[in-house]
Amino acid sequence: MTALLQTENLVTNFYTYEGVVRALNGISLVVDYGSTFGLVGESGCGKSVAVRSMMRIIQEPGRVEGGKVVVFFDPDNQQRGVDLLQQSEAYLEHLRGDQISMIFQEPNAALNPIMSIGDQVAESFLFHKRKEMCARVLEALRRPDGPSASPLGAFQRHLYARAARNPRDLLVTLTTKIPLLKHWQRRLKKEALRRSIEIIGKLGIPNPDKVVKLYPHNLSGGMKQRIVIAIALACSPLLLIADEATSNLDVTIQAQILDLLRSLKQTEIASILLITHDLGVVAETCDRVGVMYAGNLCEVADVGDLFHDPRHPYTRALLAAVPRFHQEGPLLSIEGAVPNLVDPPAGCRFHPRCPEARDICRRQFPETVDMGGDHTVACYLYTDQARAGDAP
Amino acid sequence: MHTFILRRFFFLTFVLFGVSVLLFGILMTFSPERRAAAYVTTPQQAKDIPRIIKQFGLDDPFYIQYVRWIKEVSRGNLGWSLVAARPVGEAFWRYFPITLEMNLYAAPIVIFLGIWLGSISGIHRDSWIDHSTRIFAIIGWSLPTFLFALVLLMVFYGYFHLFSPGVLSDELAMSIINHPEQYTAYTGMLTIDGLLNGRPDIALNALHHLVLPITTYVIVVVALNMRVMRSGIIEELSKDYVLTARAKGADRRTIHYKHARRNALLPVITVAGQLVAMSMEGSIAVEVVYNRQGIGWWLAESATQLDMPVLMCICLFMGLVFVVTNLTIDILYATIDPRIRLN
Repeated sequence: MTALLQTENLVTNFYTYEGVVRALNGISLVVDYGSTFGLVGESGCGKSVAVRSMMRIIQEPGRVEGGKVVVFFDPDNQQRGVDLLQQSEAYLEHLRGDQISMIFQEPNAALNPIMSIGDQVAESFLFHKRKEMCARVLEALRRPDGPSASPLGAFQRHLYARAARNPRDLLVTLTTKIPLLKHWQRRLKKEALRRSIEIIGKLGIPNPDKVVKLYPHNLSGGMKQRIVIAIALACSPLLLIADEATSNLDVTIQAQILDLLRSLKQTEIASILLITHDLGVVAETCDRVGVMYAGNLCEVADVGDLFHDPRHPYTRALLAAVPRFHQEGPLLSIEGAVPNLVDPPAGCRFHPRCPEARDICRRQFPETVDMGGDHTVACYLYTDQARAGDAP
Repeated sequence: MHTFILRRFFFLTFVLFGVSVLLFGILMTFSPERRAAAYVTTPQQAKDIPRIIKQFGLDDPFYIQYVRWIKEVSRGNLGWSLVAARPVGEAFWRYFPITLEMNLYAAPIVIFLGIWLGSISGIHRDSWIDHSTRIFAIIGWSLPTFLFALVLLMVFYGYFHLFSPGVLSDELAMSIINHPEQYTAYTGMLTIDGLLNGRPDIALNALHHLVLPITTYVIVVVALNMRVMRSGIIEELSKDYVLTARAKGADRRTIHYKHARRNALLPVITVAGQLVAMSMEGSIAVEVVYNRQGIGWWLAESATQLDMPVLMCICLFMGLVFVVTNLTIDILYATIDPRIRLN
């Protein structure tokens, strides 16, 4: 397997008035090329914080304070990865939306309410495909049936030529800031809009040329989520991160969106990192699963392995809590509540709720144990230390 | 859109009717003698009071007096202003340009400075920029206008002799009065008329006299605008669509100015509109302290001398201003926010 994204010991803290919230306590996972990685866990366990830390879009007062987020842009060269935590903000602005993009939980809030759909999708192209689009516009301008050779037309052509060579050109940047003069970009924006219509159409939205003129409040939740996906897919990224992308949609729309993501993975994008609290979605769409609890990754396994042979007590409890069709008797739930991360339990963070907790679990955080077959668990049940020592 | 505007102006008549009845009613609580006394200037005339009451019907029932007033107003007769010693309508056009002129300069400063300061303080939250603009805002907002105006006047006129009160220096005012044929009052606003008459010295001098009033007014009023903008920006920056924009690779400038600020502007429009509408009555303290004879000054003088026709006129004027401002706010809202339809 070749890795696309690898995190090592990722630590993120939030500095709030009540104290430091230790939201991520060292997450290590690998997303492979061509795979769909599912990240599951209860609300508040740090799933969203984990992926936002990977993209470095954690909002105040959060800070990514340790670890590595390595991206391998070339599947054939696993030696040359880029650690995103060491890169400048400008580098990340280039990367986000172009190589790694993200879709969000709440489609109603994820779109700017006062910007038209077309403008919002077009932004992706204007951020990342400027050079390419300028070259295309220039080509059209140079055609014999193009605009006349007035001085203004010549100036416009000159600007496009410069922008096609280098989008950060000083003259180009200057003219985009001056009122009236900045309208030379009209054709560029038209080109971006044309591409937006194309991508929106590809996502199965009827009448894309009309939809781009609408505003978010004109669309239904499922449509909005498609638009959010269109924004994320605009530049054909390597990795798509879906942060609870289907949680707030009704079941039929949810199925449509999941189908869409599945088919997109075959055509447009290399890998998907899917965050969800729905184990059914995981079973249906993912290849590998990571189970998170209170800022820790307790178990990572292939999807079949995890469902048939869960090792971590939390994973077992989680699977036992899934309602089944032929179930009799009350639904099982996990005793206790998610700990407050300002003052997390010492040792393994799950021990207050764990039926198999031992003394060592209360004192020390368990190392990750390799169970073979790409199955890892962070639990003392499977270490020699615990077996030798105290009984439950 | 057109029907919306027409309907608003139709409602305006009801608004004006309401406010005029209310104010008329309040003024009726003064006894007829007290109201008649406003026409008396010397002790000898005091014996005329019963005659004045009879002549103007000041002891008639409320509704008869109100209908009489409405009749006169509909004929274009707003009454006689004692303070101005001329008909109210004529006096209004004399005082109004002074207030309008100050607003013409102060309003854009209040609006744009408020938006700008609010944006940078919201974007750089809890930094020294934020703290200093907030301190500036709190000082401005909590200072009584008249006190602040007096302090500025004392410092800049009293000690440094830089800016003087009034609207124009005496020699220039005399030159206009002495040569009325060389100066036409097109708008009544000295800075504009000065230029139109080819007298830049008058325009500059008038501008010079405007510096302190505008400064006072802006510092006192900009705070509210700024605070609303600041909290708006902070709220918008925490919304999900900002995260979407960041995830698609937007730089900070685009996020702050293209996404968050436009959304944060909506509440600011309301506040700024109300501020401008209120300043149309001419911040009374500013005009009184700096001796600028505008609407605010006129209102203050008329209120102390119970100049009823003037009070009624300014009241109607303010009703009109508020309806027009609210209409403008609604139209601006609809142009910025696609969710709002004017129906």
